[in-house]
Amino acid sequence: MTEVIPPVTYGDSSAEANTSAAPFAITDRSYIPPQRYFNRTFFELENEKLWPHVWQMACRLEEIPNVGDYVEYWVASYSVIVVRSSPTEIKAYQNACRHRGTQLAQGCGSFRGAQIVCPFHAWRWNLDGSPSLPMYGSEGFEDRVMRPDDLRLVECRVGTWAGCVFINMDLNAPPLLEALHPVPDFLDPLLIADMRVDWWKAVRLKANWKLALEAFMEGWHVRGTHTQLTLGAGDDFRNPHDLQHSYENGHASLEKDPNSAAQGTVKSSLGLGGTADPEQTISYLRMVHEQLQTSVLAKDLHVAESLRTCPPEQFSKNFVKSMYAWNAGAGIKLPDPDPAVLGLWSSQWFIFPSFKIHPLFGNAITYRSRPDRDDPEYCYFEMWSLTLQPEGHDPGKPKFDGVFEFDDEAWPLIARQDFGNIERQQRGLHMPGLKSTRLARKWEDGIANSHIQLDRYLAR
Amino acid sequence: MDPQRGVGGAVPVVRVEPLGVTIEVSPGETLIEAAWREGFDWPTVCYGQAQCAVCHVRVLDGVENLAPPESEEEDAIRTLLGARAGRLGEIRLACRLEVTGGAVVEKRGVRRS
Repeated sequence: MTEVIPPVTYGDSSAEANTSAAPFAITDRSYIPPQRYFNRTFFELENEKLWPHVWQMACRLEEIPNVGDYVEYWVASYSVIVVRSSPTEIKAYQNACRHRGTQLAQGCGSFRGAQIVCPFHAWRWNLDGSPSLPMYGSEGFEDRVMRPDDLRLVECRVGTWAGCVFINMDLNAPPLLEALHPVPDFLDPLLIADMRVDWWKAVRLKANWKLALEAFMEGWHVRGTHTQLTLGAGDDFRNPHDLQHSYENGHASLEKDPNSAAQGTVKSSLGLGGTADPEQTISYLRMVHEQLQTSVLAKDLHVAESLRTCPPEQFSKNFVKSMYAWNAGAGIKLPDPDPAVLGLWSSQWFIFPSFKIHPLFGNAITYRSRPDRDDPEYCYFEMWSLTLQPEGHDPGKPKFDGVFEFDDEAWPLIARQDFGNIERQQRGLHMPGLKSTRLARKWEDGIANSHIQLDRYLAR
Repeated sequence: MDPQRGVGGAVPVVRVEPLGVTIEVSPGETLIEAAWREGFDWPTVCYGQAQCAVCHVRVLDGVENLAPPESEEEDAIRTLLGARAGRLGEIRLACRLEVTGGAVVEKRGVRRS
């Protein structure tokens, strides 16, 4: 029996917004016009109406542990400085000198002496954004253009969640947690905020920023893209994430349906119930460990391999028990093992507009995609592998491994398989006969949901 | 007062002439950061970004107690100070200078804020 999952299961607000003013607007949740991924007018509208008004993940908290530490977050042609202004406060400023607009900082580093200094005429600001008076050369200006309150750096809103700093350039935007709703309700119990960076890499893809992230917003590409993960199941392979939810605010999730036909497969055995063949599950976990290098870390594989002789009907239960025992022994506090938490192991969460979290055990993969400067057909795409640390252990600032070509072996095989398709997809979208792309309403509605949320911004 | 030589776990002390003051420089801290912490104004334009070289000092004694300069500091000294760069190791940037023991440096314009 096939039952179509309702498009929005959690407070859909799509009906109330008139999104028809947006070009190439979504009028049917099953179709996405290709122009949304390359049309210049559409791209410029995103730059005008989306990025200056939406909450976006700007950096990880652990990048700025000390007062004065800063990270430049850029998106399209915009740039924002995120700075730790005190042990308990983080500020973000539009990256432009109040004199002639020069970018005040690039990359990352630390503002010394608690001063942000423009490299052009050396005007200075305190970390709280107030001008460091007297401004050098102020005697050359008319008094009326040198009012201290008008010389403050232009602030952005700042919020923190899940170990990340989020910014919003729009001071009238709703609070971060309101915009993230309902995702934190589900993910906070999984202790994502306590995880720290295991590795962090980036790629410049010749693809639209949305397209890149959408490749990770459904699970049924596994059979075609990552065939090795089906362990030879072929046509019998079932979508491992067959429960898809679209939420308000453009967010979406993929989960295992505990009642689905996929029950009894490898993925369904990682959490709560069901029988699982130990050899098959271990093979799968080893493959993910070797070919994704995140999600399943060596410590997790070690636990699974200790259960090789476990009877299939006891494997899932024993696996969970052993995971908790091993981590407790290592001083790592896993999330409370209640069914709601375990049920979300291996779930995937898209956070509008450009962030994704995929938790498993004490680990998570996070993804961020953003337009690369001023070209709709290039994006800068990052992956972080995160993991919980032994209590009291501070791994320090995360190391950025670098920007690698999409086919560079610095990327795990599974990521290379995804990246290759993304660039091919971007080229295919230009074919004049392709009037629309289509979505599996049951599995891919999160993609439509995010586009409809985007249209709400564009129609404002 | 003679500069301490950084033995016995004492925090190294740098004397700054011609003001004649001593500044304790903690491990991992640069000379200009120590001076700021102790409430001194120190000439600079870029505030610790190794971009202006205005904070540079002349080392009068204790050169053996200074952590060697990295290329960023060497480039700034060569590019921004030219002929004033002096002999190798004689001129250092206070914003990059970390010490392992006592030293004496000359810096005009340092004053209590």
